[in-house]
Amino acid sequence: MSFGLVQAQDVSGNVSDANGPLPGASVLVKGTTNGTQSDFDGNYTLNDVASEATLVFSYIGYSTVEVPVNGQSTINIVLEEDAEALEEVVIIGYGTTTVKDATGAVTAVSADDFNAGVIASPEQLIQGKTAGVNIQQSSGEPGAGISINIRGSSSVRANNNPLFVVDGIPLSGENTTPGGATGLGGSSVRNPLNFLNPNDIESISILKDASATAIYGSRGSNGVVIITTKSGRSRTAGNWDFASTLSISTPANEYDLLSPSEFLAGVSQFGGDPSAVDFGANTNWQDFITRTSASQSQNLSYSNNYGDGNVRATFGYTSQYGVVEKTDLERITGRLNIQHRFLDDKLLVGVQSSISRVNDETAPLAGGAGFRGDVLGAAYSANPTWPLDPDFEPGGSLIHPQNFLVNTQNRSITDRILVNGSAEYSFTPELKGKINVGYDLAEGQNTSVLGGNINGLTGIQNQGFGVYNTLERESYLLEGTLNYNKDIGDDRLDVLVGYSFQDFRTKGRNAAGRGFGTADLDQMGRDLRSTVNAAGNSVGGRFQQYFYGTNHTTLQVNRLLPTVVAGESAGNNFVRLVQGITADTFDNTDELQSFFARVNYNLNDKYLFTGTVRADGSSRFGPDSQYGYFPSGAIAWKLSEEDFVGDNVSTLKLRVSAGLTGNQDGLGYGNFVARQRFGGLGIQNDTYEVNQNGLAIVATDVPDLKWEETLNFNVGFDFGFNLDRLSGSIDVYRSETNDQLLRLPPAAPAVDPFQFGNFDAAILNQGIEFAIAYDFIQAENSTFSASFNIAYNENEVQDFGGAINTGAVNGQGLSGAFAQRLESGRSIFSYYMAIFEGFDSSGFPIYQDVDGNGTGDPIGDQTFIGEDALPDVTAGLSLNYNINNWDVSAYLNGQFGFSVYNNTANGLFTSGSITNARNVTPDVLTSGEGAGASADVSTRFLEKGDFVRLQNATIGYNVPLSGDGFLTALRFSVTGQNLFLITDYSGLDPEITVATGDLGSGVPSRGIDWSGFPNPRTVTFGLNASF
Amino acid sequence: MRHSKKLLIMKRNQLKLIFVTFLAVAGLVSCTNLEIEETDSIITEGFQGLADPSSTVDELYNRLTGQYGNQSNWFALQEVTTDAAIIPTRGTDWGDNGEWRNLHNHAWNSEHPQINTIWNDFNANQLIASQVLDSRSNPTAQNVGDASFVRGLSMWLTLDNFGQIPFRDVTLPSSALPEVLSGQAALDFILADVDAAISNLSSLSAGQGADATIRASKEAAKYLKAKILLNKHVYLGGTPDSGDMSQVMSLVDDIAGQGYALQAGYYDLFRDTADNETIWSLRAGTGNRIYNGLHYNSTALGGGGWNGFSTLAEYYDLFEGDAEFNRLDTDLVTALDGQEERRGGVPPGGTPFTGRPGTEDLDGFENGSNVGDGFLINQQYALDGTPLQDRAGAPLTFKRDFVDGTGASSFINNDETTGIRFMKYNPRYDGGFTSHEIVFRYADAHLMKAEALWRSGGDPTSLVNDLRAIRGATPIGSVTEQDLIDERGRELNAETWRRNDLIRFGQFTRDWLFKEAAAIGNPDKQLFPIPAAQLLANPALIQNPGY
Repeated sequence: MSFGLVQAQDVSGNVSDANGPLPGASVLVKGTTNGTQSDFDGNYTLNDVASEATLVFSYIGYSTVEVPVNGQSTINIVLEEDAEALEEVVIIGYGTTTVKDATGAVTAVSADDFNAGVIASPEQLIQGKTAGVNIQQSSGEPGAGISINIRGSSSVRANNNPLFVVDGIPLSGENTTPGGATGLGGSSVRNPLNFLNPNDIESISILKDASATAIYGSRGSNGVVIITTKSGRSRTAGNWDFASTLSISTPANEYDLLSPSEFLAGVSQFGGDPSAVDFGANTNWQDFITRTSASQSQNLSYSNNYGDGNVRATFGYTSQYGVVEKTDLERITGRLNIQHRFLDDKLLVGVQSSISRVNDETAPLAGGAGFRGDVLGAAYSANPTWPLDPDFEPGGSLIHPQNFLVNTQNRSITDRILVNGSAEYSFTPELKGKINVGYDLAEGQNTSVLGGNINGLTGIQNQGFGVYNTLERESYLLEGTLNYNKDIGDDRLDVLVGYSFQDFRTKGRNAAGRGFGTADLDQMGRDLRSTVNAAGNSVGGRFQQYFYGTNHTTLQVNRLLPTVVAGESAGNNFVRLVQGITADTFDNTDELQSFFARVNYNLNDKYLFTGTVRADGSSRFGPDSQYGYFPSGAIAWKLSEEDFVGDNVSTLKLRVSAGLTGNQDGLGYGNFVARQRFGGLGIQNDTYEVNQNGLAIVATDVPDLKWEETLNFNVGFDFGFNLDRLSGSIDVYRSETNDQLLRLPPAAPAVDPFQFGNFDAAILNQGIEFAIAYDFIQAENSTFSASFNIAYNENEVQDFGGAINTGAVNGQGLSGAFAQRLESGRSIFSYYMAIFEGFDSSGFPIYQDVDGNGTGDPIGDQTFIGEDALPDVTAGLSLNYNINNWDVSAYLNGQFGFSVYNNTANGLFTSGSITNARNVTPDVLTSGEGAGASADVSTRFLEKGDFVRLQNATIGYNVPLSGDGFLTALRFSVTGQNLFLITDYSGLDPEITVATGDLGSGVPSRGIDWSGFPNPRTVTFGLNASF
Repeated sequence: MRHSKKLLIMKRNQLKLIFVTFLAVAGLVSCTNLEIEETDSIITEGFQGLADPSSTVDELYNRLTGQYGNQSNWFALQEVTTDAAIIPTRGTDWGDNGEWRNLHNHAWNSEHPQINTIWNDFNANQLIASQVLDSRSNPTAQNVGDASFVRGLSMWLTLDNFGQIPFRDVTLPSSALPEVLSGQAALDFILADVDAAISNLSSLSAGQGADATIRASKEAAKYLKAKILLNKHVYLGGTPDSGDMSQVMSLVDDIAGQGYALQAGYYDLFRDTADNETIWSLRAGTGNRIYNGLHYNSTALGGGGWNGFSTLAEYYDLFEGDAEFNRLDTDLVTALDGQEERRGGVPPGGTPFTGRPGTEDLDGFENGSNVGDGFLINQQYALDGTPLQDRAGAPLTFKRDFVDGTGASSFINNDETTGIRFMKYNPRYDGGFTSHEIVFRYADAHLMKAEALWRSGGDPTSLVNDLRAIRGATPIGSVTEQDLIDERGRELNAETWRRNDLIRFGQFTRDWLFKEAAAIGNPDKQLFPIPAAQLLANPALIQNPGY
C-alpha cells in the first residue's frame, strides 16, 4: 500500500459506556502508531486517518471494538463492559499484567467471584476459589485469626501466612490488637486484615511461584496476596451504592451431651454416688453458652469518574455477633480513593486512604486452657444438675460456666489509618516514573478483667485481676519505580526498576493489676486504665517499667536509657484504685530497604521472558548478613499463537519458572544482638506485693542470623478452547526452603533456652494444581458456568538432625502432652503418639508395644503413625446460574488426606471425666472404658478429617429498572453459609485448628481441636441499590 | 518534523525531571543504614559487661525463687525420683505425658521436659552469674559474693545431676562453644566460687527472719561448702576424705557459732516467722508445696488442691506411729496414733477462729486449719468436722496403696484417693500462699556434721539423738548407716535433698514400688541424661552412660 494514494482525513467522535462518557479510552488506527485517548467528555480527534483504515477502541475492562472508517468523519461508539476482560487483568508486584501475558503462577479473583454472606475479613472472599491456596479461619469466632497456606507450609515457624499488600503497601502481617492474656482465656490472635471493609475490595491477586513473588524478595516465600481496593473509575456522573445485609447465625453443630438423669446414671455406672453430685437442676450448659445471633452490615459508597480523575468514598458499618456469648465485633470504616490526572494526563496522582475502628469483645476462650477448659470446655463438661446461678460454687476446682462468663470481660479497640499516595508521571509514552508513599498506623488497646466473684480460681477469687495492654504499630513506606515500555517491531520490552524503604515501629505497654475494690467489670476496667495511665503520666523521662504494690509507698520506676536506674521512687501523684500494678513498655523499629528490577520481553507475542531480581536489606539481621539477593526467571510459550495450533484453541501456554525467595516473618526485632532489659514483674496473690526485679539479658548475639531461603520451580500449562468457553490451567511445582529460622536450644549455658538461628533443615513442598472452568450455557438470557479447582501437596522435612515435639494436647492430666513431632523424613504436622488397641476386660486401655519391651506404654511406645494434619488434597467447586434477572450460585469446598486430633474428646469425654462428676457424651458410657482408666494421647482420639462443605449458596434477584427513576440498580439476595458438612469427624468441625501450644518450641501445630469455637451456619439477607 | 523537535526538548526536560526525582528519593532515604536502634533495650555487640550488676543479682535470686518454688523441675527431680514422692496417674488426671511416672519409675529419657528445664535453668544461672562477675560489669564485693554463691550452687547442682558442666567464658564471643567441666576440675572451680562467696559475703546471725535470710550470707556459703565436701566422693569415686569430713564439721560449727541451732516446734519452722534454724530461704510462694498433694475438696483455700503428689507407704513407715491412722485429737495437738511430731496428723476439723495473725475466718474457723500438718492418711474432715468426700461422692480417705478399681496395683489407673499426702507448709496462714520457703536449714547442717563424724569413723548417736529429742522421737540406741539416711528422710522430708542423700548412701538404685526393672541396681540412673538437643548444639558434651 502506498501512502501517496490514500486519502487522509480527520476523524472525531465520542466514546461512552452505559453510564455516559468514557474518558481515557484508547483510540488507535489499526496497524499504525497513530492513536489518542478520549478526553474528559469522552471526545477524541484523530488526524491523518486513511479512509479505508479501521479504528480500534479499547479500554481496560471493556470489550475492544473495531470500526472501519469508510470515509466517516464522526464515529461515536458505546463500549460494553467485558467481565472476562476485567478478570484478565492481573495485579502483580509493582504493576499489572494480563492472564494471557503472565509468565508466573498468578491467580486473580475479582469482586464478581467473591464469596457472599457474612464476610468479616477480605481473605474469606476468596476462600477455596484458587487451587493450592488453603485459607482457614482458625475458628468461627468473629475476627479470629486466619491461616493462609499457599502451596503447603514452607516454614516451621508459627507464621506461614503470605505477605499481604494492600494498594501497594506491604503490611507487616503482625497482630494489631494487643492480647489480653489473663492466663485464663484471653483474646485469640486477631485477623490482621480485620480493618479492611470487604465491600471496598475490587480484586485479590495471589502470587504463587517464585517468578511472581521474587520481586518481594525476603518476604516472598509464602506467596503474596495483593489486595486492590475499588476506585471510582467505572462510574460517571456520581453514583451512590448502598449495600445492606442482615445475617442470622446459629452453631452449625453441637455436642450430644448427657441429660441430668443420664448423667447421674453414668456417675453411678462408674462407681460414684449420684446423690452426692446431684444439685437438682436441669441445665443445658451448651445452650447457655451458645446463641443464635443476628449481625448486620451497612455500606454506602459514592463513586464518580469526572473525566480527569475519579473518586470513590465509602462508609461501612458492621456489627457481627458470634454464636458464643460475649463474642462480637463492630467495625466502622471509611475509605476515600481519589485519582486525578494533571499536566495533559501525564501526571496521575492517586490517594487511597482508609480509616477504621474495630471494637471487639471475646469470651474467656483459650487454646491453652488446662483441665477446667475455657468457657466452652467448662460448659461441655459442666454438671447438668448445677443450677443457673452466677454465684453457684461448684467446688472441686471446677468452673461454673455462668459464674465464669459473667465475671470476665475482654474488650479491645483497634483504630487504624492506612494512607497511600502515589504520583505517576509519563515522561514519554514509553517511560513512566512513580513515587509511592504509604503510612499505616494501628493503635490497639485491650482491657481484660476477671472479677473477684469468680469462684474456684486461686489468686482471682475475692481479689480480681486485670490486664490492660496497648499496642501501636506504625509503618512508613517510600517507594520509587521507573517503568520503560517499548515496542520493538513485533516484540515488546517492559523494564521496571525500583527502590523501596519501609519501616515498622512497634510500641506499647503491657500492664496488669491485682486487688480491685470492686467486682463490677466495667468499673474494674476503668479503675485499671485510670490507675495505669495516671501512674504512667506521673513518671517523667524515659523508662521501661513502673509498678507499685502494698509494699511500696511510692511508684517505683525502672529506667533503662540513657542510664540504668532500678527502683527509682516517682512519688505518689496519682490515685491507687488497684492494690498493685505492673507496667512494662516496649518500643522498637525494624527497617527494610530494597532495590529491585524486572524485565519482561515479549518476542513475537509467542515467547515471553521475565527476569526479576531484588536486593533486600533488613535491620533484623546483622551488618554481615543484612542484604540478600533474590533472583527469578520465567519463560512462557504461547502455543496458541503458533500456526500449527487450530483456531478452536483460544489459549495454550506453557510456563516454566524458577526463583529464589526469602522469609523473615515471625523473627521479630533485635534477635542478632545482645540486649538487656528489666525482667518481668509479678504481683503476689493475696498480699499484692511486687518484688523489684533486675536487669536481664533478653537476647544473645547471633551475628550470622539471616532469612530462610526458598528455591522454587514451577511448570504450568494454561489452556482454553472455543474462545475460552472451556478454560483451565495445570501447574506442577517444587519448592525447597533452607536455612530454616527457628528458635532452638542454643548450647547451654544460655540465658534463653531458645534462640533464633538458621538451622540445617529443609522443608520440601511439591504438588500439582489443576483448575478448569466451563460455560455450559451461554444463551441470551441464561448462563450456567462451573469452575473447579483441585490441588495436591506433599510436604517433607529433610536434613534435620533433631526432633521437636509440638502440638500440645491440653486437658486434665495432659500437661506436657503433645500429638505432633517434627523430624526428618516426615511431613510437618506429623502425628506422633501411642497406638491404641482397645480396652482390656477391666476397661483399661491397651497400647501397641512398639519398642518390643513386652508392655504397651502410652509414653514409651509413642511413634509416628503415618498421619499428618496438612490436607493432601484441597478442592473447590463453584456453580453459577443466571436466568433473566435471577442468579443462583453455590460453592463447595473439600479437604482430604489429613487427620484431626480430637483433643476435646481426650480432655473432656472420658470415663475419668464422669468419674469426677463432669458431663460427657453418651458414647463414654458404652465404649467399654472402665472407671479410673487413664487417657493418654493416642490414636484413640485421632480421626480422619476429610470433609466436603457447602460453604456458600446464594440466590439473587436483580429488579429490572427502567433507569429513569431514582434507582439505577436494585438487587436482593439470600446467602447461606456453611449449609452442610459431610465428614466422619466426630467433633464439631474438622476444619478447626486451635492454638493449643507448642511446648515452648516455636514450632506451630495444626489440626488439634480443643473445644474450638463452633462454626456458625449463617443465612444472610442482602440488599444492594445504586442511585 | 515539528513534532519530533518538540519531543526532543521535552525529553531533555524530562531527563532532568527524572534526575531530580531520583535525587529527591535518594535524599529522603539516605539516612537508611539499617542500623538497629537502641530504643527499648540496651544493645551491645556481644557481651560487654552488665549495665547494673546489682540489679542482675536481684534477677538471679528471682530466678532461684522461681526454680525452688515450683513443684515441677527441681522439686520433682529431687523428690519424685525417690521413695519420698510419687504422682500416680489418677484416671485422666496427672497423666501429663508420663512425665511424673517416668521420674518415679526411672524411665526418663533425654527428652524429659523437667530434666531439660533444670539443665537450662541452672546453666543459665551460671552464665548470668559469670556476667555479674566479669570485670567489665564492675561488680561490688557484695555482688561478687552473691554471684559466686549462685554460680557455685548452680554449677554444683549441675554436676550433681548431670555429671558434666558446660562452662561459658563470657569474654569469648557468644558463638564460641562452651567447654565442658567434670570431676576434679569441676569441683575445683565450684569450690573456688564458694570460697569467694565465703570471703565476700557478710555474716548473718541466727533469728533475723525471712527478710534477712532471702540473700546468701557467709553462713549459707559455708553450709554450701560443707554440703559439697560431704558429697565429693560421689563425684570422684573412692571413699570420703577425712580432711574433707573434718572441714564439714568445722564449717557446721562455724555456722552454729552465729547462733544457728536446732529449735523445737517442727511445723512452726515452716511458717513465715523468725527462727534459729533457717540459714537461707527464698520468697517463693508455698502454694506449690501445699496444693500439689491436697484433694480438690480438701480446702476452699487456693481453689482446692491439685490431688497429685503422694508418698510411698514405705516412706511413711519410716516414722513412728500407727500404719493406717495418723490422727490428732480434738485439741488438734495430741497425737492419737502414737505418731512422732514430724509425722504431723489429720485433725478432726478446724481450729476456731480467734484472730491470730495470718489466719482468716471462715464460718468461725481458721480457714485451712482442717488440713493438718505432715502426713495425711485415711478420712479427711471439713472445718466443721464433717467427713469430706471426693468428687464422685465417695469418702475422701487417703490410702496407703496405689491400686486401680479392681484392686490391682497400678501406677496409671488410680482413683482420686490413693496415696498418703504430705504437708510441709500449712495453708492456714496468709491464705495458703506464704512467700517463704526454706532452702538451707540448720537441722540439715547438724545431720551433715553427724554424717561427717560417722564417715570419719566417729559415733554420731548423740548428735542424732539430740535432734530426735527436740522432735519428740524415741532415742536410738546406736545409730547405724541406715539410721542416718532414715533420720535425714524424716527430718528433711520434701526439702529437695532426698535424691542427693540416697545417692550418697548408695540407695538411689534400690527397688521401690513401680520402679522399672531395668533401673534397679543400675548406677547409670544416678545421673540424668544430657538433653538430646544439647548434644547437637555442643559436640563437646558426651551423653552419660546408659542413655
